[in-house]
Amino acid sequence: MGTQMKDVVIKPDAPNALILDKHADYIAAYGSKRDDYEYTLSEYLRMSGIYWGLTVMDLMSQLPRMNCEEITEFIKSCQHECGGISASIGHDPHLLYTLSAVQILTLYDNVQAVDVDKVVEYIKALQQEDGSFAGDKWGEIDTRFSFCAVATLALLGKLDAIDVNKAIEFVLSCMNFDGGFGCRPGSESHAGQIYCCTGFLSLTGQLHRVNADLLGWWLCERQLPSGGLNGRPEKLPDVCYSWWVLASLKIIGRIHWIDKAKLRAFILACQDEETGGFADRPGDMVDPFHTLFGVAGLSLLGEEQVKPVNPVLCMPEDVLRRIGLEPDLLN
Amino acid sequence: MAEFEKEVAVLVQRVVRDISNAFKKNPNIDEIGIIPCPEPRYNRSPIVLIETKLGLESWCVKFLLPSLHRKLLLYRQRKNYLDREALVDVTVTLLLLNPDFTTAWNIRKELLQCGVLNPEKDLYLGKLALTRFPKSPETWIHRRWVLLQILQQCYAQKGCRKEQGEGYLCHTEATGSSQNLCTHQAKLLHQEMTVCSEAAGRYPSNYNAWSHRIWVLQHIAKDNVEVFLEEFSSMRLWVSMHVSDHSGFHYRQFLLQALLTALCKAPQSTAATTLHQQGITTTSQSDTRAAFGLNESSKEWQPGIVTIPQLFDLEMEFCSELIHSFPGHETLWCHRRQVVFLWYQWRRDHPNVPCNTNEGNVLHLSISKDNGQACSSVEKSINGLPCGGDAMEVDGPPDPRDAKQLKRGLLMSCSMALHAEHSFVSSLLDNCCNLEQRRFALAYKKWLGTINHQ
Ligand SMILES: [Zn+2]
Repeated sequence: MGTQMKDVVIKPDAPNALILDKHADYIAAYGSKRDDYEYTLSEYLRMSGIYWGLTVMDLMSQLPRMNCEEITEFIKSCQHECGGISASIGHDPHLLYTLSAVQILTLYDNVQAVDVDKVVEYIKALQQEDGSFAGDKWGEIDTRFSFCAVATLALLGKLDAIDVNKAIEFVLSCMNFDGGFGCRPGSESHAGQIYCCTGFLSLTGQLHRVNADLLGWWLCERQLPSGGLNGRPEKLPDVCYSWWVLASLKIIGRIHWIDKAKLRAFILACQDEETGGFADRPGDMVDPFHTLFGVAGLSLLGEEQVKPVNPVLCMPEDVLRRIGLEPDLLN
Repeated sequence: MAEFEKEVAVLVQRVVRDISNAFKKNPNIDEIGIIPCPEPRYNRSPIVLIETKLGLESWCVKFLLPSLHRKLLLYRQRKNYLDREALVDVTVTLLLLNPDFTTAWNIRKELLQCGVLNPEKDLYLGKLALTRFPKSPETWIHRRWVLLQILQQCYAQKGCRKEQGEGYLCHTEATGSSQNLCTHQAKLLHQEMTVCSEAAGRYPSNYNAWSHRIWVLQHIAKDNVEVFLEEFSSMRLWVSMHVSDHSGFHYRQFLLQALLTALCKAPQSTAATTLHQQGITTTSQSDTRAAFGLNESSKEWQPGIVTIPQLFDLEMEFCSELIHSFPGHETLWCHRRQVVFLWYQWRRDHPNVPCNTNEGNVLHLSISKDNGQACSSVEKSINGLPCGGDAMEVDGPPDPRDAKQLKRGLLMSCSMALHAEHSFVSSLLDNCCNLEQRRFALAYKKWLGTINHQ
């Protein structure tokens, strides 16, 4: 036998048209039919879950179907004394969920619902001497958290609260020979981390420090014969990695380097025509996470039934225009 | 309904107690799992302990998890009191079922800080959770936090001191060498490597496991060339048996780069000696110290040394061997890019290093020994794989002339080496009909063209 190619085969009867109504119904119903066990298992990331659901609804112009008041109250009760916001009530605050909460409140044009000054203080206190950011008070360092910090501050218009130059130096120290980025200096390049780092460099106006051709090359090599993109060599294609790679390519101005039609076909094939929603790969179980990244990916590919999405913050462009935020993109 | 809830509460209490007792009875439990079993059987506990394996019958999980989860969150909101012992037991059960529940780990961090928990016990709990969830980011994150606590403790104790940078190195009284890890750290290091290897074996290209391994080297074995060499040599077998594992290969690249940095810093004759001894017997501590610990003043490259070129040479040979034996693996081609890139960069920075003197043999000898061992293991692993036969016949074994040409190329200038790489690809393409292999070879060829601009 030869090599078993790590890819999927798209069946001829796989969905090839966008079924937006079904996706909106799927997300709208998601919160209501809560299974105790499933709900518990994922409560540690509830705030991000809500961000995924609301963002994809907004991209489909269906945001009014969600319960704005209830969600705002929920977010308010997740802000802690220290200013940080947690995934859910009773959980500990973390940068990941602080960003999600601020993204949600920005969608609702209501960041004042939380104590913004305290959020800023919380983030500021997590910056380390080398410029990196800890995710919470326990000190784990990751370039993901550098992104969370600057993305939250950029949405709040408070980027100047931190030492931006040092933050930049740290992120750049995580760049690898292949042009990609890892979680810490010396770590392997990974599409998710690359998305965070290119997004970070966009928000801090430092995209010229990326080797765009080299990185673009690596990112394009993530496209497999099925059209889907993987996050690292010899991994399976996945809708969420398709978003991270595609968004990074958009940020560094190389999105035209991949086969857009084939990627579109792959993403469409990941829809579930019965239940609505997108899965990681054709035929798998759908979830809100892959549903957002499926729809956002199609938006970046030029799908006109969906609002244009911003590749850096994964939010509708019109929302960012409202707050006057326009992250850099390379040409 | 109230009756049902009472029953659940009794069940949950019982299960938590049984799990806690199982650990007391058998402190050597080394794996956890869920036993598929949709209905309770008789009045038996859903906890099953078979030798060192702890199993939980699946029917009880849907009661257990939500109930304990709520209990802990109520405690966190100060709406419900749990004593320390209960907190320890509840978090163990919860984390074995749902190890990404960050707040539960944080509660254990607090218990650790006030001395209720022993850090080694938490490393053990994490290790168990990883047997079921080898990727679990929060488990790895908690692990790094616990390790930092242990290292800080070790540093605070008599006999340990903090070296420059963030690595904590212990002062070994017997030798007085600052380069050696104290027994405690050596044990810790070994334990972490084992945990990483197990998790890497359970899930391919396990990003969290391999980036943890790098973190461990950076924090426990900072600048310890002996450790890096040992890792580099033991990884050879591992990667040749996991030719699709990009994370494992990245780790090898990380080690290669670290060794390169260390060798560039060290006076060459002693570096070579150390490498030599490493290959044959354990390194004398004073040598290591002399070679890598202190002498950073010698920035000039000493002429007549071949260590680094040969390190590359062997790695390229190894890589060619793997590419021929396992056609169509993107990971191997990525590895080739990194090695060539590192070599190219080094050669550009050290254009005047002569590469064909006799001193170099010292290193060559020692690494060839490792090479020899590893080669035989590579052969074994090829034979052990069902895909070996066909692939080998199609592509044929590596042409010995290529290897020679490659070696000469590497020892020569950058442009000559690139030329050698081009002919490696051309001759490979000449008799290759594996589509994937051709695709990767062509992409590699294209990549070679860009190396000058990087
Ligand atoms: Zn995914």
